[in-house]
Amino acid sequence: MKKILLTVLMLSLFKTFALANEVNVFSARHYDSDIQLYEKFTAKTGIKVNIVSGKDKALQKRIIEEGAESKADLYITADAGRLGAFASKGMFQNSLTPAIKAAVPSNFRTSKWTGIAKRARIIYYSPERVNANDLNGMTYEGLADPKWKGKVVIRKSNNIYNQSLVASLIKNNGKKATTEWAKGIVANMARDPKGNDRAQILAVAAGEADLAVANTYYLALMLSGKKGAEQQAAAKKVLPFFPNQEDRGTHMNISGGGVLKNAPNPDNAKKLLEFLLTKEAQEHIVNNTFEYPMIDGVEPHPLVKQMGLGFKQDLNTKVANYEKNQAVALEVMLSAKWK
Amino acid sequence: MGKKINIWYFSSFLISIAVAIPIVTVFSSFFEATGNYSSILKNTFLYDYILNSLLLLIGVLILTFVIGVGCAYLVSFYTFPGVNFFKWALILSFAVPAYIYAYSLTAFFENYGTAFSILKNLFGEGNYNSFIPKFDGMMGAVISISFSLFGYVYVLTRASFHYQSQNLIELGKNLGFSKKKSFFKIILPSARPAIVAGLSLVAMETLSDFGSVSFFGISTLTTGIYNAWISFDDLTLANRLSFYLLIFILGLFVLENLSRKKAQYHTPSKGGVKSKTLIKLKGLKSFFAFKFCATIFFISFLFPVLQMLYWTIIFPKHLTDLNLIELFSNTILLVFLSSIVLISLAFISNYGNRVSRSKFLEVLTTFSISGYAIPGIILAVAFITFISWFDSNIVNFFGFKSIKSIFIGSIVGLVTVYFVRFYSLASNGLKSGYLKINYSIDESAYLLGYSKFKTFKNIHIPYLKNSMFLIGILLSIEIIKELPITLIMRPFNFETFATTAYVFASQDLLEAAAAPSLFLVLIASFFILITSKYILKD
Repeated sequence: MKKILLTVLMLSLFKTFALANEVNVFSARHYDSDIQLYEKFTAKTGIKVNIVSGKDKALQKRIIEEGAESKADLYITADAGRLGAFASKGMFQNSLTPAIKAAVPSNFRTSKWTGIAKRARIIYYSPERVNANDLNGMTYEGLADPKWKGKVVIRKSNNIYNQSLVASLIKNNGKKATTEWAKGIVANMARDPKGNDRAQILAVAAGEADLAVANTYYLALMLSGKKGAEQQAAAKKVLPFFPNQEDRGTHMNISGGGVLKNAPNPDNAKKLLEFLLTKEAQEHIVNNTFEYPMIDGVEPHPLVKQMGLGFKQDLNTKVANYEKNQAVALEVMLSAKWK
Repeated sequence: MGKKINIWYFSSFLISIAVAIPIVTVFSSFFEATGNYSSILKNTFLYDYILNSLLLLIGVLILTFVIGVGCAYLVSFYTFPGVNFFKWALILSFAVPAYIYAYSLTAFFENYGTAFSILKNLFGEGNYNSFIPKFDGMMGAVISISFSLFGYVYVLTRASFHYQSQNLIELGKNLGFSKKKSFFKIILPSARPAIVAGLSLVAMETLSDFGSVSFFGISTLTTGIYNAWISFDDLTLANRLSFYLLIFILGLFVLENLSRKKAQYHTPSKGGVKSKTLIKLKGLKSFFAFKFCATIFFISFLFPVLQMLYWTIIFPKHLTDLNLIELFSNTILLVFLSSIVLISLAFISNYGNRVSRSKFLEVLTTFSISGYAIPGIILAVAFITFISWFDSNIVNFFGFKSIKSIFIGSIVGLVTVYFVRFYSLASNGLKSGYLKINYSIDESAYLLGYSKFKTFKNIHIPYLKNSMFLIGILLSIEIIKELPITLIMRPFNFETFATTAYVFASQDLLEAAAAPSLFLVLIASFFILITSKYILKD
C-alpha cells in the first residue's frame, strides 16, 4: 500500500514540475466544443492545453490561495461581471495584445480581460397569446408594467445573468427606480422563479406564462434538435423579441478570459486568447454554442441569424461596469422579494 | 496507564484534530468582518431559508425513516417472494446521487419531457403538460434526496436487525406481544443506535446538499451561504452561516445522546448470533411486502437508470465521445486510495477512543465529525484557505519549500479533503460495529496476555470485518458520486464520471450528462453487487 501511495505522491509531484510547452486553463465555461478548439490550438502551435474546469467562485478562490505557486495561466468564464470582480482583486495582468485589441470592440474588453463570445438576454413570447403590437417598443423596464400581471417567467435572483441584467438597469435608471421595477417584476411573475433559462422558454411554450426572459443561445439550442424532437417542437411555439430597440439597445453579455497575474506561461496564454479570436475559432464557437461572434466577419449560426440579426445592441452600458452593480442588483432583487 | 495507551490516545487525538481543521477554519470567520449581506438577509429571506431548511430536513428524515426501516424490517424478519433479491437490490439506490436523481426527475416530468413524449406516443398530440405532475421545488428536492439517501438507514438498520436475529421476536412472543407491538416496543428501540446513525448521516447530507436544492431552486440556508459567498463575495458570512448549520447538527446529536442516556447496546457475549428462522408471509401480507419493496426499488433505482438509458440511446454520440478508460481509472484510483486511508484512520481513532475511554476524546471526535454537515465546497475552500495560511505562516517561517502544490490541485490534496469529508461516515460506521463488541471481550484478551495491538489486530479487525466491508462500500460509493470537492481540488486534465456529468449538466445538456451518470451508477452498483454477496452470506 505504501508503495502505491508513494508512487501517486511522486506522480502528483512530477506533474507540477513538468515544464513542458504548455498553457494551463482554469475554466468556468466548459463546452465540449471548447476542448476541440484547444486541440486545434495544440495541433497548430505545439502548445499543450491543460484544463481544470469548475465553478466560477471556487476556481477563483483556488487561484487566489495558490498565490505565487499557482500554475494557472488563463482564466475563462461566462459573464462580464465575474471577470470584472476577479480583475478588481488584481488577479489579472495586462492580457491584451495588438491582435486582440484589433479584433475585439472596446466595449467588450478591458486591459485585463477580453470577451470571447457574446450573448444577448432577451424576451421570449407566445405568438398565440401575445399580440405582436403589444410588444411595440417593448423594453426590460416594460416587463414591470401591470398589464403583464401573472404572465412573466424569469429565473431566480441569484442567477448571474439576471444580476448582470439588473446591474445594467441600475446603471441606466438608478437603484431606486430599479427597486420599484423589481417589485413590479415580482408582482408580474406567473410562478415563483425556478429552473434554468430553457425552463423559462418551455414555460411559455406550455402556456404557463406569456413572456420569458432568457439568453439567446438557449432557443437556438432547442431549435437545433440537440435537445430532442419534443423540445424542438416546443421552441417553435415561442418567438424571440429584442427589447429596448428604441433606446439604448438590447442587454449584451460575454464569455471571456484573461491572463492571470502569477501565470507561469503568460505568452502561451496570450497566444491561446489570440487563437480563440481568430476567424477559424470563432466559427467553431458560434456553430457549437450558438453564441454571437466577438469579431467582425464571422456569421452566427443560421438558427441564431433566423432569430434576428440587425438588432441594436446596448453598447453604451459597458460590460466592464456590470461588476460594480452586481451585488447591488441582488440586494435590489432580494428586497423586492424576488426569490 | 501504560505507554501503548498513550500512542493510541495520541493517534486518535491527532486524527480528530486533522478532521477538525476545516471546522476551525470556518469558525475563524467569527473573528473577521463581514459585509452588509447579513442585514439584507435578515430583512429579506433569512426566516424563509431556515424554515425551508427545516421543512426539507423533516421531509427527508420522515421519508428515509419510513422507507429505510420499513424495508430493513421486512427483509430481515420475513420471507416473501423476491426477498433475497430485494435484500441487496434496495442498496442499489445508493448508486444514484441526489443530483442525478434530480436531473432524471426533472427530465421525466418537465414541460415537453419524457412523460410528455410517452403520452404523445401512446395517445397522439395533446396538451399533456398541464396534466403531468411537476415534481419540482420542495417536493422534488425531498424526493430526490430521500430516495438517494434512504440506503444509509436501510443498510445500517438491516445490519443491526441481522445481529439481533430472532432473539427479540421470540422475546416478544414470550411476552405475549403482537408483531406490531414487538416491532415498536422491542425491535425498533434496540436498533436505535443504527437507525440514528443512519438518520444523522442523512440529516447532515441533506443540510449540506446544494446540488439538488439549487437545481430545484428552493431557498434553504445553503442558498444563503452561496449567495453570501458567490454574489456578495462575503466568504466570511458564508462560513459563519455554515457554522450555524453545524451547531444545529451538533445540537441534534447532543439531544439524541441525552435522550439515550446510559442505555448500552451490546449483543450478549454468549451465544452470539443465532441462526434465523424467518417468518413466512402469506397471501395479502406477502403481496404487500413484495409491493412495498418493489415500489421502492423501482422509484429509487430503476426510474433514474431508465431515464438515463433512454437518453443515452436517443443521443448515442454522447456515449461514444467519452474516454471511458480514463474516467474509469481516475474514479477507481480515488476510491481505492481514499477508502484505505479512511478505514485505517477510522480504525485507529475508534480503537484509541475505546482503550482510553476518554470522555474528552469522545467529545472531540463527535465535534470533528460534525464537519460532515458543512457543504462540500465550503469544506474544500476552508481546506485550501488553511493550507495557504499554514504555508505562508509556518512552512515559510521555517524556510521550507511551499507545500501548496502538494495539497492543492493534486491527488494527495483530493484524498486529504475526502478524508475530512467522509471521516464521519467511516468513524460512525465502525463505532456502531464497536458498540456491539462487549468490553468483556477486550478484557478477556488482556487476561490472555494479548497486547493492545494484538487485541486490535487479532480480535477487533476480524470481528469488524463485516462493518469494514460495509463502510468500504459506502465510502467507495460516496467518493464515486462526490462532486464539489473533486471539482475544486483536482489536478489538471483529471476528470471523473461525476465531473464529466457536471460539466454537461452545467451547460444544460442533461442528455449528454446521462452517459457519464449512467456509468457512475453502474460502477457504484457493481461495487454494491460484489460486496453485497459477502454481506448477505452470514
